[in-house]
Amino acid sequence: MRRRRLNTLTILALGTLVVLTFAYMLPIYVMLVASLKTPLEISQRRYLVPSSHLHFENYTQAFTLVRQALVNSTIISFAVTLLAAFFGSLGGYWLSRSRSTFAKVLFILVGIALYLPYQVVLIPLVQIMAKTRLALTHLGLILSYLILNMPLASVLMGTFFLSMPRELEEAAEVDGANKLQTFFYVITPMALPAYASTAIIIFTQVWNEFLLALTLSTPKTTTIQVKLAEVKGSFVALYNIQMAAALISVIIPLLFFLALGRYFIRGILAGALKG
Amino acid sequence: MNHLERWQRKWRRLTWGDVISTIIFLLPLLIFLVILYGMLAWTFYVSMADWRGTAPNYTFVGLKWYKLMFSLDRFWVDVRNNLKWMILGVLPTTFVALLLAYLLEIASLPGTESYIRTLILYPVAMSFVVTGTIWSWMYQPDKGVFNTILRALGLDFLTGRFTTDPATATYWLILIFVWQYLGFAVIILQSSFRTAELQEMIEAATVDGAGRLRILFSVIVPNIRGGMLILISLLLISALKVFDIVYVVTFGGPGYSTDVLAFFMFIATFQQHLVALGAGLGVIIFLLAFVVVIPYTIYAFRKWFE
Repeated sequence: MRRRRLNTLTILALGTLVVLTFAYMLPIYVMLVASLKTPLEISQRRYLVPSSHLHFENYTQAFTLVRQALVNSTIISFAVTLLAAFFGSLGGYWLSRSRSTFAKVLFILVGIALYLPYQVVLIPLVQIMAKTRLALTHLGLILSYLILNMPLASVLMGTFFLSMPRELEEAAEVDGANKLQTFFYVITPMALPAYASTAIIIFTQVWNEFLLALTLSTPKTTTIQVKLAEVKGSFVALYNIQMAAALISVIIPLLFFLALGRYFIRGILAGALKG
Repeated sequence: MNHLERWQRKWRRLTWGDVISTIIFLLPLLIFLVILYGMLAWTFYVSMADWRGTAPNYTFVGLKWYKLMFSLDRFWVDVRNNLKWMILGVLPTTFVALLLAYLLEIASLPGTESYIRTLILYPVAMSFVVTGTIWSWMYQPDKGVFNTILRALGLDFLTGRFTTDPATATYWLILIFVWQYLGFAVIILQSSFRTAELQEMIEAATVDGAGRLRILFSVIVPNIRGGMLILISLLLISALKVFDIVYVVTFGGPGYSTDVLAFFMFIATFQQHLVALGAGLGVIIFLLAFVVVIPYTIYAFRKWFE
């Protein structure tokens, strides 16, 4: 009885494995294959068969199209990530240590702003960015994303701080360190993995954001997602270029994901409040 | 040591150093929150102003644009579509993720767990613009990947019009969303399984001879309510905010059959320049999100200040 059960289970698991592999590898596989073909080869509709001659020049062409946007997105995403992780750790630390009524009120305000739909701040944001002419530089998008990602960064960092033992802080206090010294010399070095998790979540979020970038970016600050949508619109039949550009755009976040997967998962779990 | 006593002692010992450090910890967060809520109030006001065209107009006209909004057929199509997103984008994802997470827990295929995790989680690192670009090619009716493969296999009767058929287009868009969020859901549910208490309960139920499905639905599900609540809230919010997939794959079409509130807000504000109407749509989206986020915030609050 027990044996038979285990076998059905193994078969079920293997079946799931095959189905999932197919469902999740097919899109990326066809994408890769198509990105190395000529439009003529694509029109022969043998999507699963790689072309006999790999056309890497598609990537050169796609890269020329998206190069400036890649630079813009890199500048914006890294700047937002660094600033949000730093400011978020300050706010998050305070929220995780204070039990005052003010902290509770503040926490609720942060909680509501945590997953705020961007639509509800879009019109004022466009007005502010246009009036201050910040939209003409990267600073406009950096500030916008920073404001919008600050609640999330605070909660992620705070969730990690909550799970850290207090003994060290108490010891530092006894030794005469003030709160800032304790935070920067005792807490921060211990919280480096937390910074990594928060940073990777914020980075992915900003890199992949589309709505705000679409409305706020100017020709000089176009982000990669906006450029990609543009390429999709203007190279309608040229699937090879579309797919090559799309693949180029996912290289950075995908590398982060593969290299720092553990931190990525911890970040997701912290967003689900599991420190 | 008593909490109250400790606090009273701290109050008495409060120094300038403490005040300054509190300001440094809190100031950035406070400034950004004030700006955020300021913009929120600003949008609320614009939704009751008479702003159409590119130049701002802050003349107060009350609910004029809301009345117009509610009289629009397109608005109600959007509400229906958003409901479809929020039901079909969330429930199947949660259900499949639950089965998958459980299967990963009980089936011991060495080495497969991290493989499956990576396999289904990588779309989380990609944008909806990228997945939208791939999927719109796969869905393409005459040259698309799906129909081509189906025809090659001789399964012509299974070929479809996918996102070009107004009656079903939204469902195919939702499928992209489910595909992209499945891994995310599995990760959250899996971590909910792994508490010592729950593992003991599962063991006890196994000893009592309960079947695996019974254990899942009578033992596990009632005991991971916290994790489920968080997951469902996060998925609901994402489904409510969905914009990128619609923009990239169908641009709201055919007609406005795949239109959603977030997309209409964008079109109304930036293409039709009915800014007050756009602000009103933004407010509606916010209020819906607010309702969804309340249970999340209460849960988070309890956990945070427990």
